[in-house]
This record gives sequence, structure tokens and C-alpha cells, in this order.
Amino acid sequence: MKKINLGLIGLGYVGKFHLRTCLKLESANLIAVADISKKALKLAKKMGVKQTFTDYHQLLEQPAIDGVIISLPTHLHAPCAISAAEEEKHIFLEKPLARNPDEGKNILSAARKNNVKLMVGYHSRFGSSYQDLKKKMESGVLGDIQTAHAVNIAAGPFFHRGIGIPQPVPEWWFKKELTGGGALMDLGSHMINLTRWYFGEVDNVKAYLGYRFNFNFEDHAICIIDFKSRTTAIINVGWFSQKAKVGIELFGTVAHASAYRPSSSRVITAIQLILGRTPKFFVPYRKEVSHFVHCIKEDTQPSCSGEDALKDLEAITRAYKNQIRLD
Amino acid sequence: MAYSTRLEGIIVSLVSFVQIERSNIKAIEDSLNLIHYKFQKKIKKVVIKPNMCYYWDYSTGQTTDPKFVAATIKILREKISPEVDISIVESDASAMKCQHAFKFLGYEKIAEQYHVNLVNLSELEAEPVKVKVGNQNFDFMLPKIIKNADLRINIPKMKYLALSKISCAQKNIYGCNPFPKKFKYHSRLSETIVALNKVMRFNLCILDGIIVLGSQALKLGLVMASQDPVAMDTAAAMIMGVNPKSVEYIVLAEKEGLGNTSFTAKGMDLTYFKDRFPTRNLTDKTITLGYRIVHKSGLDKRLML
Repeated sequence: MKKINLGLIGLGYVGKFHLRTCLKLESANLIAVADISKKALKLAKKMGVKQTFTDYHQLLEQPAIDGVIISLPTHLHAPCAISAAEEEKHIFLEKPLARNPDEGKNILSAARKNNVKLMVGYHSRFGSSYQDLKKKMESGVLGDIQTAHAVNIAAGPFFHRGIGIPQPVPEWWFKKELTGGGALMDLGSHMINLTRWYFGEVDNVKAYLGYRFNFNFEDHAICIIDFKSRTTAIINVGWFSQKAKVGIELFGTVAHASAYRPSSSRVITAIQLILGRTPKFFVPYRKEVSHFVHCIKEDTQPSCSGEDALKDLEAITRAYKNQIRLD
Repeated sequence: MAYSTRLEGIIVSLVSFVQIERSNIKAIEDSLNLIHYKFQKKIKKVVIKPNMCYYWDYSTGQTTDPKFVAATIKILREKISPEVDISIVESDASAMKCQHAFKFLGYEKIAEQYHVNLVNLSELEAEPVKVKVGNQNFDFMLPKIIKNADLRINIPKMKYLALSKISCAQKNIYGCNPFPKKFKYHSRLSETIVALNKVMRFNLCILDGIIVLGSQALKLGLVMASQDPVAMDTAAAMIMGVNPKSVEYIVLAEKEGLGNTSFTAKGMDLTYFKDRFPTRNLTDKTITLGYRIVHKSGLDKRLML
């Protein structure tokens, strides 16, 4: 059976996760990577990637590539994804779709025009605990879900990445014009996508935004979403904590249930990597890219699609419009 | 010996221990009075070096509380002169830029409120200096603002650090090296810490122990003051349950004449704080040891951790 040929654009923090997982896929070959960092490219070569480029346009010109994984800073999502669509490459784009709905719509339009698949990387959908919770909810054992509490509290992009040589925080994270927003855009988009997957279309959104770290973007947010299905969800996200907590609790008329992302210890992750095993933390990343490859092979629609991710972005935009500032 | 005080004809290093009760200002003043520290009226320029570590907030115990720095500034204005020129200094590091850290951690607000300067040492004029520690030679750039300051105040934190066992007064001065890629010095960290302290010559250490970082963060409410960074580090190690003689840079600093490991304690009993300090358990110690092994073997880089 023909394997799908993939290209990976961007070898930052999340891009490196994709690099690892793509190299382990049985149904695809990672044949090329692009990044402006020669050091990152050298690493990819060492790990077995044959072609490396400092300009992603050169990667997109490779006829052998069927699909690309784009893991770039948010402000580069639109230009890169549009170029990929124009080169008729299927697209897996890291979340959020774009900085704003207008950019998002341009990406969708380019994908449609060139008849390529567009998937956006919301990996929670591929976490087994979240999938099990969805099944439970849909089976009716919880009754009607009246309220939900989704949490994504972590250190965000400002924590020290790496055990050995400390890695600097990429400068774009400090510029709202490049990110499109703060913690609500970064972490909130995950939880909005997850709750939309559970409860359907959004009716109304309100947000309380906090600025503990004195920037012009929020570092924590509490967002209240009313769904058309009559569930109300509280999205509680923040970049302020050294300890990560990511999960969702559902409160139903019959019972309650929850799902949390398993905590990952750096020490255990290191041991698993030494042993050549896939650490728990990487599993949803591997599954989502496998799903993307499967959709290309079988010509099916991915979850989450570009249309889906655009709805998340529209909900976030409404939240920013209906914001109350916490000072 | 600038770090010591003459008491009844004998030169000793004094370290004071004060529990914060009413206010930071009162605790700092008490800690300074206990070591008989007097600010000289002729002082025109002061630099203050708080501890900053990545972008960790003061509440984690990793970094100096800006409110503690503000209290120190108020004391300086009152004891020296309202016009004394005060600069809060820090340098860029591998994973931290002063430009962001000053805003992130609340120092921009302090600067505005108390009319002090925020200075990124990595961007300032500096002059080359050579220094020798043991048989190792170092070349650093000495920022002129530090060289020309009449008073250099070190406001460290007290915390465990895998590579050097503890971090306190002398380790905080490591952050005065304007060269951003400080990991370059990790392979000879103890010597580098001592070398930088020899070059920078801070006069006064006031420890912000409002929150300390042991096995976990804890509101200890401790203020320590000393003119001797070696004595302060020794006292900190004792509180943290670490044998000061096992901390390479403390032993080395004493050999290099930066201070004394023996000191006279003033104020509260050190054991009061030692009994409350959240010392590491066996698991923490094992993880630290594991980290050292991974770091020394270079595995961390190979695994992209």
C-alpha cells in the first residue's frame, strides 16, 4: 500500500513533537522539513529526514509531498497554509486556525478552491480519556449535561523549556499582533474546541480576562459559554501556574463525570524516550497525525476540520468583544 | 574587610535573622540594625540586584518579591537621601530577557512609582576584566553602572538548585554577568559564581525570605541581612538542611577571601527557620541526582528535553 509522503514546516516546541511522531508513523513517510533554524534542521537530518529547507516554499514545491504539517507561529498560519493549498498539498495546521476569523476564512477558501483537506490540530479530541467521556455523555448515563467546567491552567509559553540548555521563549509570544490574543486564544481555543465537540453550536459567549503579568494580552481568562444544546460551560484557562491541570468535568442531571489529561513527568518522559517508547504525552499528537494521514488515504473529512476551527475562532472573537477586564 | 563588623576589637561576620511581622520595611530595618549597618549620607548611586529566574512570579518563591525591593527603596530614600539615584539591575539570560521580565514581574510599576531606573546589564557599557579563581582564569565584562555605584545591594532568594545545591547571595550575582548565554558556565559553575562575586563586589545582602523555595514554596517570612555573602550563604545552607561545607562555591569563596563560613547570628534563632523550612525528601534528592547525571552525560540535549 502506498505510503503518504509528509512535509513538516516549523520545528519549534510543538513542531519537534510532530517530528518525533511523524518518524514513527507506519502509514506515512516524513520526507522533508522546513525551518529557519539550521540547528533544528541538522537535528531533523540526524533523526532521518532526507530533505531539509530553510524556506518552506521550497518544501511546498516538492511534487512527492502529499500533505504538510504546519507548526508555525500563529501569524504565519495564513500565508503558509494558503501557499500549501495553492501547491495542492493537504494541510494539517496547528491550532489556532489563525489570528482572527478573516484570516481563517482566507485559509478555508484557499483549501476549498484547491480541493485539499484542511485539519486543525486540536489534539484533545484524540486523547482517550476525552473520547471515553464523550461516549459516556452520549450514552445518556449522565443525563442532560447542564453545566461543564473545562480547565487548562499551565505555565503557558513563558516557562523554561528544556532540562539542559534553557530555551528562550520565542519573541512572537510577547506580541499580541502576532498571536491574535493571550491565554484564551492559546489554551482557551483547546477547551472551546473540546466543549463544542461535546455540546455543539455556541449560542452566547462572555469572558473575564485577567492581566497579572502586565502585558496587553490576557494571561488568564474565565469564559462562560451558553450552547444551543442548553449546556453552559465555564472555560477556565491561564498561563500563571507552574503546575499544569487540563481537563473537563461534566455535571449531568443523573451523574457527573470528568476527564483529565494525564500528568507527564519529565523524568518518566526522559526514561521512555531513552527506551524508545512513545511517552503518554505524545500519544494524542501521534493519533491526530495518523488521523490526518488516514483522511488523505481514504479521502474522508478530518476531525477537526477547518470549518470547525473557524467556529472556535469566531467564539473567541465574540469572547474578546464581550470581555470584562479583571484588574 | 568590608563584609565584616568590628565588635569589641574582633572582626566577625554578622548575619541577622528577622521574622516579618508588621511590614517588610520594619523587618528590613531591624535586620540592618542587628548587623549595625549604617547607610552613608555621601552615597549618590545605588544598584539593587533582585533575583529573577526565567519569568517565574515572586509567589513561586523563585524570584524576589518586587514589594520587598520597593520597601528597600523606601529605606534608601529615607536613610540616604530622597534624591539618591537607584537602579534595579539584571541581565539577559538564555531563557529570559530583561525587557520582558521587568514588565512581567512588576518592576516597571515599581520603577514608575518610586522613580528608579530599570537597567539591563546586557545592553550597557562595560569594561573587560580578568579574574582568577583557584587555577582558573575568567574574562568578564564589568558593567560600568556596577563599577561606579557607591552602594551595591544584593536581594537574593533562598532555594535549592540542582547544579550548585543551593542558590542564595553569591549565586544571585551570577545574574550580573552581562553575557546572556550563561549556560556556557554551567560546567564550572562554582568557580564562575566566585569569580563574578570577586569582580562585582556587592556590599550588602538582604535576603527576601517572605516566600522560600524548598521541596515546595512556603511563606517563611524571613529577612536576613549581612555584609558577608559567604556568611549569608552558609546560614542559608544551614536553614535548608544542607551542609555548607558540601557546597563547592561556599568553600571556594571563603578560600578566595570573599567572606567567612563562620559567623555570628543576630536576632532570632536560626533553628526557628530551619525547623520550618520545607527540606527535600528522598524522592526530591533522587530526582536532583538523576538530573545531575542526565545533565553531566549530555543526555538532556540528545533527547531535546
